[in-house]
Amino acid sequence: MTDARHTTDHQALDHYREQATGEPPAHLDALILAAARSATPAPKPGLWQRWIRACQQPRWQVAFASLVGIGLMLSLVQRTPEQVPGYDFAPAPKASAPVARQETEAAPPALARSLKAPAGAFSAPAPAAPMAESGAPAQAESFSADRADEAKVSKRAAVPVKSLDEQLREVLRLQKAGHKQAAEKLLADLHARFPDENLSARLEDLQKN
Amino acid sequence: MSRLKGFISQLFAPASSLDASSDEALLARYREGDGVAFEILYARHRQGLYRFLLGLSGRVELAEEVYQETWLSLIRSGSQPQGRATFRTWLYQIARNRLIDHWRKHGVHQPLHDSYDEQTHALADEAADPEQLLSLSRDSQRLEAALQALPTDQREVFLLRAYSDLDLPQIATLTETPLETVKSRLRYAQQKLRRLLAEEVLT
Repeated sequence: MTDARHTTDHQALDHYREQATGEPPAHLDALILAAARSATPAPKPGLWQRWIRACQQPRWQVAFASLVGIGLMLSLVQRTPEQVPGYDFAPAPKASAPVARQETEAAPPALARSLKAPAGAFSAPAPAAPMAESGAPAQAESFSADRADEAKVSKRAAVPVKSLDEQLREVLRLQKAGHKQAAEKLLADLHARFPDENLSARLEDLQKN
Repeated sequence: MSRLKGFISQLFAPASSLDASSDEALLARYREGDGVAFEILYARHRQGLYRFLLGLSGRVELAEEVYQETWLSLIRSGSQPQGRATFRTWLYQIARNRLIDHWRKHGVHQPLHDSYDEQTHALADEAADPEQLLSLSRDSQRLEAALQALPTDQREVFLLRAYSDLDLPQIATLTETPLETVKSRLRYAQQKLRRLLAEEVLT
């Protein structure tokens, strides 16, 4: 019933659709398509095309050139090496080599590296200790610029280094405590480290005092 | 980013995908400089629009004039359908407005602005059995004469439904007429056409 009603309702519509013959004339088609073609807007340029066009304009050329110049200057400034610090590392040589080495062995790898750095930087570490002991500032001029950073780090992580007298007192303390082997070993290390020093005489002086 | 993806997809889009694009997408592409998109759009709607104008105006010269003005107006406007309007609704709206403008300009009585009693037409059409399947005439002159015998409001709705493929709500929006009125106009138009074109009764 409903289908029959639907069919009859649309009979006229379908009939007209089937029988329709009207077509726009060819000259109208041609005219409209030609008008559409002539009115077609130019395709919008892409990002790169717009950028290249902008670069071709004189005022933008100046602007871009300025930007490039500033960029180059900034990169050069950023790459300039830091100034070598003058006497930042002066107290470092106070460390006596054997003790420093002992501490280095016990310390974590990073700390050990930092401790070794200044000692290794000196060409003659042994004589440096007396100089430090006598209060003379160690000269850091021999540091090269490329070691400056490493030395800075080591300075931050540096532990207080014992002087020769303190280490000799340590030898005395070990002897008194009955650790003769340890005392002898430390003394031997000190002899090796400070061959020019008369350690026995200094040890006796310390005992007297 | 989305614009870049769209650009890339358009760049490598095959012709078949262009054919399958919506009317709105084709118009947008034409506005961006793609001439082929307009050709596809034109091919889709040329026949329906022309037949609608021819049927509504009843004169070939007037239909051609309004047809041309409609397309040229669309080409030159540079705008897009607004709001919920589809391209199809928009196109037929332009054509309809152009035809009304023409009638107004030439002092012609505007039949689309007539108000008539829907009930009167309904009573007149009751003479034919609506559920009877008829054999309709295929004579082009008789078809045309039957169409022109319809009240213009009914003819407009019938033509829009027959040739534009717009659904009834869209026709209601386009003609600024309540949906129920559009439905009744279409029903009366079909009944009257069947009656005018009937040649013999099929049992």
